[in-house]
Amino acid sequence: MRAARSPQAIRVNGVGVRYRSYVDRASTFRRVVARRRLRQTTTVVALEDVSFEVEWGETMGLVGDNGAGKSTLLRVIARTMRPDSGSVVVNGETSTLLQLGAGFNHELSGRRNVYLSGLAHGLARAEVARLFDAIVAYAELGEAIDRPIKSYSSGMVSRLAFSISIHLLPDILLLDEVLAVGDAGFRKKSQAAMRELLGQGGAVMVASHVLSGMAEMCDRVLWLERGRVRDLGPAEAVIEAYGRASPSAPR
Amino acid sequence: MVRFMACQHTTPALGGINAAAGVVPRPVTAKSRLPRAGHVESAGVSTVTADQVPSLSGWRNYVRNLWRWREFGWFLAMGNLKARNASTSLGLVWWMLNPLIMAAVYFLVFGLILGGRRGEPQFIAWLLSGVFAFNYTATAMTSGANSILANRRLLVNIRFPRLILPISAVIETGVGFLMSITVYYLIVWPADGVSPGVTLLWLPAAVALHTVFNLGLAGWTARLAIPFRDINNLMPHLTRLWLYLSPIIWPLSFLRDRGGLVEDLAVLNPMYGILSFYRMALMGRDLDTGAFVLALLWTLLIGGGGILSFVRHEGNMVRHL
Repeated sequence: MRAARSPQAIRVNGVGVRYRSYVDRASTFRRVVARRRLRQTTTVVALEDVSFEVEWGETMGLVGDNGAGKSTLLRVIARTMRPDSGSVVVNGETSTLLQLGAGFNHELSGRRNVYLSGLAHGLARAEVARLFDAIVAYAELGEAIDRPIKSYSSGMVSRLAFSISIHLLPDILLLDEVLAVGDAGFRKKSQAAMRELLGQGGAVMVASHVLSGMAEMCDRVLWLERGRVRDLGPAEAVIEAYGRASPSAPR
Repeated sequence: MVRFMACQHTTPALGGINAAAGVVPRPVTAKSRLPRAGHVESAGVSTVTADQVPSLSGWRNYVRNLWRWREFGWFLAMGNLKARNASTSLGLVWWMLNPLIMAAVYFLVFGLILGGRRGEPQFIAWLLSGVFAFNYTATAMTSGANSILANRRLLVNIRFPRLILPISAVIETGVGFLMSITVYYLIVWPADGVSPGVTLLWLPAAVALHTVFNLGLAGWTARLAIPFRDINNLMPHLTRLWLYLSPIIWPLSFLRDRGGLVEDLAVLNPMYGILSFYRMALMGRDLDTGAFVLALLWTLLIGGGGILSFVRHEGNMVRHL
């Protein structure tokens, strides 16, 4: 049904993102003044002319070295960041982006963070309350839900983040390096949940610099190199090519 | 049509999840699905392009989204309100105590030592109304500037109308202000013989006008604090200067004695009209209509401008974080 309406889940068309170099640190009046005076226009290209499409029911992998633009690309697709050029069409009603430490306030308890996250996604409080028990149970947090997030292990944080995302029933799930942490049991469970989402006609994008498991999980893989598309094709072939080009990439 | 599409998807991915967690699967209705956000969207399709100028329909959509996210703003505001003094033994009482102590210090220094109370028979009522109201503006500016940076992790990951953050900062400080003002007559009635009268009916209007003004200011500080972190260092000095330039710690007669250009320029201060409005409501003073009209114009300019400028730039916020 959905496929008839809109053939692709995501259509990325000539997307470019540039950061000004001083933006690495926060810019100050002084730097801005200096830039005006010296006419410094040094920019860092995070993404340049990136185009691709993701079909419904597809898992697209995203590989590349650190700083290749993987996170930036996912942010543009999640539409939390506006590109400098090009366009992104996301046909799903909804998407969630998941990064390590995902949108949590580490001073607050897990409970408050579940609410904060759900409400930030635009749910009503009653709706979050209804999902709450299922979210905590799936994340296997138990009593720890009332402790502040800063006391959690990284595995617990990503379990909670993943649990929230999947319970929000997104059409499109964007994962940024989240599957590398967490134990084997939870990885299996999360992959089952992703398969279910795909079975419903959703779409998934997974960015990771850890290559193990990517080939089985993904249908196709996009290889980013310094903000450009180096290769796009069947998962096995692209991952092998990337592995050969960057022997340092963790497997 | 949008909902129709969502309904296709109601058999949740949760069936398997709940089973795995040992929980009885429950139906999840289309209502619990994520809503759509952003500027340009129609029927489940959202497009993001490089140059997105908010159109009129975009604005209507934006306002609708603000309403949809209202519970988020409220939750954030109440959480911060409680968290701010959570580890102190007096907790929420500090929202009341802080401006009171501030007023007591000003009373001691400017009222008694420097003799500022001369020329103002109800100096304590004058000072307290001024300090309470000004403190609302000052804290709204500071919280507004912090609102984006404090929630950077949410901003990066989740899409929601960003204006909710400065709105939430103003709600937080506004509730604190309302809490502080409850003690006003408890102090000024015995001290200055100022009792509540019919003019008190104007208070909601004064608070409303002041809140719109503060929201605009918070919009400006929030938007400027992202590319220019220096704002946070400047803020205490700016608010202090503004406090001294406003009729709070000195009576109006002080200005009348100066006369001429100083008196004319002083009225340009938006605080002048806002405070005059408050003092009409709280003390039964005459409203300075000229200053009041100017304050209305300032509210339109700063309030409207701050909101517009913020929304125009919100698409670029994440890259500066």
